[in-house]
Amino acid sequence: MHRYPHWPFHVTLSTICALMLVPFIWVLKTSLTGENIFTYPPSVLPQDPHLFYYVDVWYTIPFFRYLVNSFLVSLIVVVANIVFNAMAGYALTREFIGKKAIIILFLSCMMIPFQVTIIPAYLITKELGLLNTHLGMALPVMSTIVCIFVFKASFDAVPRSLIDAARIDGLPDWKIIFKVMVPLSQSAIATNIILAFIWSWNNFLWPLVIIRDQHMQTLPLGLSRFLTVVEDTTGALYAFCIMVLIPGLVIFLLAQRQFIAGLTTGAAKG
Amino acid sequence: MSIIKRKRTRELLLIGFFLAPSLIIFILYRIIPLIWNGILSFEFWSPYKPAEFAGLYHYQEMLFYDDVFWEVLLNTVIFMLSSPLGILLALGIALLVNAPIRGRNLYRTIVFMSYPVMTVAVGIIWQWLYNEKVGLINYILMSLGFIDQGIPFLESFNLALPCVIVASIWQVVGFYMIVLLTGLQNIPPSLYESAAIDGANSWQRFKRITLPLIRPSIFICIVIGIINSFTNFDLVFVMTQGGPGHATDLLITYIYDEAFKLSKFDYAAALTVVNFVFFLGLALLANKLSGGEAGAVETGD
Repeated sequence: MHRYPHWPFHVTLSTICALMLVPFIWVLKTSLTGENIFTYPPSVLPQDPHLFYYVDVWYTIPFFRYLVNSFLVSLIVVVANIVFNAMAGYALTREFIGKKAIIILFLSCMMIPFQVTIIPAYLITKELGLLNTHLGMALPVMSTIVCIFVFKASFDAVPRSLIDAARIDGLPDWKIIFKVMVPLSQSAIATNIILAFIWSWNNFLWPLVIIRDQHMQTLPLGLSRFLTVVEDTTGALYAFCIMVLIPGLVIFLLAQRQFIAGLTTGAAKG
Repeated sequence: MSIIKRKRTRELLLIGFFLAPSLIIFILYRIIPLIWNGILSFEFWSPYKPAEFAGLYHYQEMLFYDDVFWEVLLNTVIFMLSSPLGILLALGIALLVNAPIRGRNLYRTIVFMSYPVMTVAVGIIWQWLYNEKVGLINYILMSLGFIDQGIPFLESFNLALPCVIVASIWQVVGFYMIVLLTGLQNIPPSLYESAAIDGANSWQRFKRITLPLIRPSIFICIVIGIINSFTNFDLVFVMTQGGPGHATDLLITYIYDEAFKLSKFDYAAALTVVNFVFFLGLALLANKLSGGEAGAVETGD
């Protein structure tokens, strides 16, 4: 396979990666020093890094409150997604009347981006009395169609003979699900957790629409608000960015494989 | 006989029970809103006023009297037409990281890393990179001697939209790359081997084997690009708020402003109908052109 030299690949890819990384590195650097770009001499590495801006963010805005809100919403979304998607995915492995109609319904729902439903979705949530609540933020994304099919594919892959054997042993349906199917579907569960968490953690438009109360704001809302309130506390703004980016990045780096598997199963989020 | 029947009923109940939560969520937050939105677009309505039939009033207003609508529509189209640039770039990167070189997994991770991060933060970072006085881009351009004074990128009527598009491509290029890479990895290596034996050079192999076989992946990317141009609210909202004027407003940000800032829910509903019909038409067209496989989910039936 060594018919061509590898170095042009490395040079090109390194350049591209540098372009992808520069914004991250620059934000990290500024958040640690607050020095603006015209400090002389300009440096790539932070000089005298300190955590002042991180402490600043923690105390000047209700960062902890935003963090708890974001975390609670994501927790509801992740748990609901695993349970509901697994249930629907399991149902779709069985034969029943109207199964085709249900699948068509799911697939057509995939063609409706959530963004084109926000006005009535807002009015419905208002009718339900869920404006300004964690549940209201979570409800529309508590099940994901792509993930239902991820579960279905995973359950379909469980050998039929294994299920029959369990049935002959006299295990009831729910026991078959928990003792046989679920342990064999860990990868589908991981995909669900990661996709649901990242989508919910980053979700902006929906909370923006239904949250008016400052104490209910999630991190992205707090971040965009912080941007409009403070103009000159550059360091603090970028410290805020880093603090918001880290959880998503860490989870992505830990479970890249499942994340990508989930994304490439369906076309896109929506 | 009746035992079997009872068992069958119980099984149906169980299936219904299992499907119910997901179905309720999708009916409540997809199907009903879509219908409600359609009805709302033919009404005069605001939160404190009873509904009144409006016929095509909002649509006439939109098509004949609202210049902003045409401007944001054009912006959305420009945004969409820029996605092939990102896809082309991603195809190049995908071909590079598909080669058997050391460290390719690291390269893939780095290129993909900008996709799962929070778009609001991405918007803030890019807004700052474009900053007239302290932005990195102006700093580099000045250091290299291309310009004497900082360019106010995001305040410029001509430059603001391309700048937002660049930030958007930066964020989504890794996703395109992953989709294309999946396509590339599904090509059996034996095809290349036999083509090489037949004396095909690398360009011929690319044109005759690679391109036709990753066509479905390319169409998935195109559909993603279309979806992106109709739903990319966060980046515009954070970077420019649609400004200057309406230079960077997309349909989705315009809908948000009309509905939730001006409380013109009825008019915003009509805009949403246009947004959805336009989106659906393009997505179906792309799907048809690709042979009906773009964005298909493996349903296993």
